[in-house]
Amino acid sequence: MANRILVVEDDTAISELICMNLEVTGYEVVPVLDGNEVEGTLEKEENFDLALLDIMLPGKDGFELLGVMKEHGIPVIYITAKADVNSKIKGLRSGAEDYIVKPFEVLELLVRVEKVLERTGKQKEIIQVKDLEIHLSEHKVTRNGQTVSLKPMEYDLLVLLAKNKNVAFTREQMLNEVWGSNYLGETRTIDVHIGQLRRKLDLSDVIKTIPKIGYRLEE
Amino acid sequence: MKLWQKISLLTAAILLISMVVYGGITVYETSNYNIRQTSSAASRQVRATAYALGQSLENAATEEMSDTARKAYLQFLLRRYSSRDYMLLQDWQLAANTTNFELTGNRLEQFDSYEPVAAFQQKNGRHLMIVGQKIPLSDSKNTSYQLLLVRDISEIYNNVLTQIGMFLIILGAIVAVAINAVFWMIRRMLKPLRDLRETAGAISQGQLDRRVRVRSNDEVGALSVSFNQMADQIECQMEELAQVSERRKQLLGSLAHELKTPMTSIIGYSDTLLHVRINEEQQKKALTHINNECRRLERLSGKMMNLLELYNNETIHMEKHPVRQLIGKVAELEKYHLKEQGITLETRSDDTVLLMDMDLMESLLVNLIDNAMKASKEGDTIYVEAAGTCILVEDHGRGIPAEEIPKITEAFYMVDKSRSKKAGGIGLGLALCTQIVKLHGAKMEIKSKPGVGTQIRVIFSEEQ
Repeated sequence: MANRILVVEDDTAISELICMNLEVTGYEVVPVLDGNEVEGTLEKEENFDLALLDIMLPGKDGFELLGVMKEHGIPVIYITAKADVNSKIKGLRSGAEDYIVKPFEVLELLVRVEKVLERTGKQKEIIQVKDLEIHLSEHKVTRNGQTVSLKPMEYDLLVLLAKNKNVAFTREQMLNEVWGSNYLGETRTIDVHIGQLRRKLDLSDVIKTIPKIGYRLEE
Repeated sequence: MKLWQKISLLTAAILLISMVVYGGITVYETSNYNIRQTSSAASRQVRATAYALGQSLENAATEEMSDTARKAYLQFLLRRYSSRDYMLLQDWQLAANTTNFELTGNRLEQFDSYEPVAAFQQKNGRHLMIVGQKIPLSDSKNTSYQLLLVRDISEIYNNVLTQIGMFLIILGAIVAVAINAVFWMIRRMLKPLRDLRETAGAISQGQLDRRVRVRSNDEVGALSVSFNQMADQIECQMEELAQVSERRKQLLGSLAHELKTPMTSIIGYSDTLLHVRINEEQQKKALTHINNECRRLERLSGKMMNLLELYNNETIHMEKHPVRQLIGKVAELEKYHLKEQGITLETRSDDTVLLMDMDLMESLLVNLIDNAMKASKEGDTIYVEAAGTCILVEDHGRGIPAEEIPKITEAFYMVDKSRSKKAGGIGLGLALCTQIVKLHGAKMEIKSKPGVGTQIRVIFSEEQ
């Protein structure tokens, strides 16, 4: 079961943008274009794990909708053009999990969504990649019930790629996410680890090299 | 030095000088008069005495007397007229003397006259007046007598000194009082000036609502009135400036905000195309969105440029044009667009000629008709009617809620954001129209009812 995300954004272009990227990465998405339609959608469809809310909406605005989300126990990330500190503080104080300022990069959106799901414990337990199962809480990878042994960094890198399926990472982004921003390693390190993953897990056809960018786990 | 100090000092100096001159002249004239009076009285006395003495001497045989006898006789004669004033000279030698003075003998020639002559001299700190004349005698006497009257007139000079002293005391008192009075009066008169200075200082510090109290209707009062008018003007203009800059700020803020939405789409979709594996259909969608948003930006920048140009209003060319020509041109421009949407445009116009910038008026009407089209649906009709100084654009579309009408001419304001965005609106049309109308000295009236339709009238001023 994929995580279900409610996207409330009135600009169709941006709504489609968010939905497109979340779907490709493996989420299930329900877009809503009007603040007044949110409650109706929530009554019809259950089990949202997260809501992305624009603040300036026709009908009920993002701040009003936050209360509705809380009633349903849905964590909220605001997506808004309001970049001033006061709006951010107001958003976060009122109980939103995170705050994304337009314009944003796709990766930023995905990582923030992922972190909020992780933090609120709504994240899926098992990620399926080909015949592999990644057990996030146990930090292990199994194939047909058999554990495959991976070094910690190899495991982290696999999780990063598997969580953001179909999204290409640059080597710098990968270093940043897995080794941390303080790590002063060479980007060669990434190539070595990717090589290990492909060999150990037989993922050569799934972890693709994207010229001039980096790597992508495709499914 | 302060103005009040200058004026006080100047007044005091003038007062002092004129008082001194006046006092000096008065004292001098008074003493001269006294002396003249005294000397003329003495002259009369000398003349009378000399005549009488002449009579006596004519009859007396003084030549035959011995020196001693003659001297005694003359002394006796003199004493008969005055006990103490006279000296009698015979051939310029002292012959008899009833005064307490000695004859010193210099400059006696001045008395060689049958008319009394007055002379003055100072001796041992005393002022003496000497009046003398020859005693008239017949020619038979071959000797001459002179009569001199000697009088101490120190008293007169002492009076002068006393007068000067008195005068100085009075002068001092008057000047002291006058200086104080002038000082006080001038400070009082200049008080409004001090107020003015204080107020001007306060205004320059930013307290624009400060005003001067007008106390009098003299020059300073007039200055205060003018000053207050100036302050009013400044306050008014500052307020206007503040409003203008506030509007600019809002416009810039809205512009920045307006740019964010297309930017988010463009950055997001291009990022997706670069990094995310999506199918061909999705790729096409992403590209379409990027394309649309870029066009939106292009329209936005075009309209912004128009608006800025209008704010500069240097490029405006006012000429007389028939309204019929304008409306015909606009109908021609919109023909294709209208057909596409299945909307009919009906125009009617009289033969009025108006002073206008053709290009701007065209853009105004195109904007208004575009708005009407966005509000209308297929099969609807839009009316454009020109009669006299009024041009009417009317639609029977959705209409505008009453509370929104005052806001719709603000830049980037859209009543139904998502709908007008879908229709390609960017929220600058009516802001543009407002500016164009303003440049023509006209006004725009908006009447609307939701569900019934909208009427927008552009009314030119009657002077045209």
